[in-house]
Amino acid sequence: MTAASAPAAIETRALTKRFGTLTVVDAVDLRLAPGSKTALLGANGAGKTTLLGLLSTLIAPSDGEAWIAGESLTRPSAALRRRVGVLAHLPMLYEELSALENLTFFARLYAVRDAGPRIEQMLRTVGLWRRRDEPTHVFSRGQHQRLALARALLHAPDVLLLDEPETGLDVEGVALLDELVLTAPGLTVLAATHRVDHIGAWAEAVVRLDRGRVVEDTTGEAAVAAPRAATMHEASR
Amino acid sequence: MSATLAVLRKDLQLAWRDRSGWLAAAAFAAISVLTYAFAFDLAAREVRPLLPGVLWTTFLFAGIFAAGQSFQREAEQGTFDAMLLAPVPATAIYFGKALSNLLALLVVEVALLLLATILFDTTLITADLVVIVAVGTVGYVSLTTLLSTLGSRARGRAVLLPALALPLLVPLLIAAVRATGASLGEPAGTAPWTLLLVVFALWSSLGAALLFPMVVER
Repeated sequence: MTAASAPAAIETRALTKRFGTLTVVDAVDLRLAPGSKTALLGANGAGKTTLLGLLSTLIAPSDGEAWIAGESLTRPSAALRRRVGVLAHLPMLYEELSALENLTFFARLYAVRDAGPRIEQMLRTVGLWRRRDEPTHVFSRGQHQRLALARALLHAPDVLLLDEPETGLDVEGVALLDELVLTAPGLTVLAATHRVDHIGAWAEAVVRLDRGRVVEDTTGEAAVAAPRAATMHEASR
Repeated sequence: MSATLAVLRKDLQLAWRDRSGWLAAAAFAAISVLTYAFAFDLAAREVRPLLPGVLWTTFLFAGIFAAGQSFQREAEQGTFDAMLLAPVPATAIYFGKALSNLLALLVVEVALLLLATILFDTTLITADLVVIVAVGTVGYVSLTTLLSTLGSRARGRAVLLPALALPLLVPLLIAAVRATGASLGEPAGTAPWTLLLVVFALWSSLGAALLFPMVVER
């Protein structure tokens, strides 16, 4: 387990992922405090998506270790998976099912208590309650993303991993994302993003990857100063 | 168990909404049997031993036709990853998907047996034959569900499933054809074909369920 007394929300030690001879994530050390909001930056192919895949338990590490709330990802338990939510590139929704049917299915998988009211609450929050019975293939990209957000938050996770969450969202959708996720108190967020102009509004810290290695990590710095520093750093690049 | 039922229910919902895959498989099966019916007079005594082979070849290709589709769609839409992220065992997902494939293929097979009964003027809906078809289909679907998972992320997925499945299914096909022949009163030798079919079905179901978590790991 970790050296510190209180477990970090996310902690990794020398976390590495190799595909054949290609090292995509290279000995990454991270420690994110519970409730912290961290932007994961880096060029295309820097390893952001793979790192999020490792932390979500979707990809098995080649080397190193990782923990979510003190629990190892080596053999992820059901309890650990229940604590993590993922909003990825793809909305991860069934096109032939309605918004309501999609969330009902995932509520069953996550054994969400009082699923009916919770689903209604999430659909109302993302503005899709009136369209709940429509198949999702008629939805726009932004509406897909809103529903994907509802899916990711349905089981009330403690840790949310996001991969370019603003993709396809209009101004209203981005504001909703900010309200529900990026500035939500208590929720630990690690979000890969290219919207560097926006991270000053929500990120308390920045982790930058380059060819799989961490080249910048402000997670240990003062929370308030970090976003401004990160934005300035971005502007200077 | 509840996760398996959730996946089964969702897959049946999807199969009903988008019937194209299974309808295409059923159409393929019907056309095959019709072609055989015109090519051979299977009601005639001398060509009757061909009937089990005709039935199982048709079942096999109809199943292969449809089996790859469900996983392919899941992979393309990212929903397979979404299921793997959920706090449920991977084997529960496997059983849900295998059961939905089994039910859909059994429906196609029963329809095909009814059609063949008319075309070949032979009673094919008998207790013996229904058991043989059901057990053979369990073995077949167990294996193809696993292999279609494996193929869903591959580039050459259209050829990968038949290329992997057909050699592995040879023992099942031999046993199924022989057991079907015996149930239709054709000489099938003294080997316990139905028992072999049951053993294959058990082996492939258990083996596939155990291998599935490894197959989906990246």
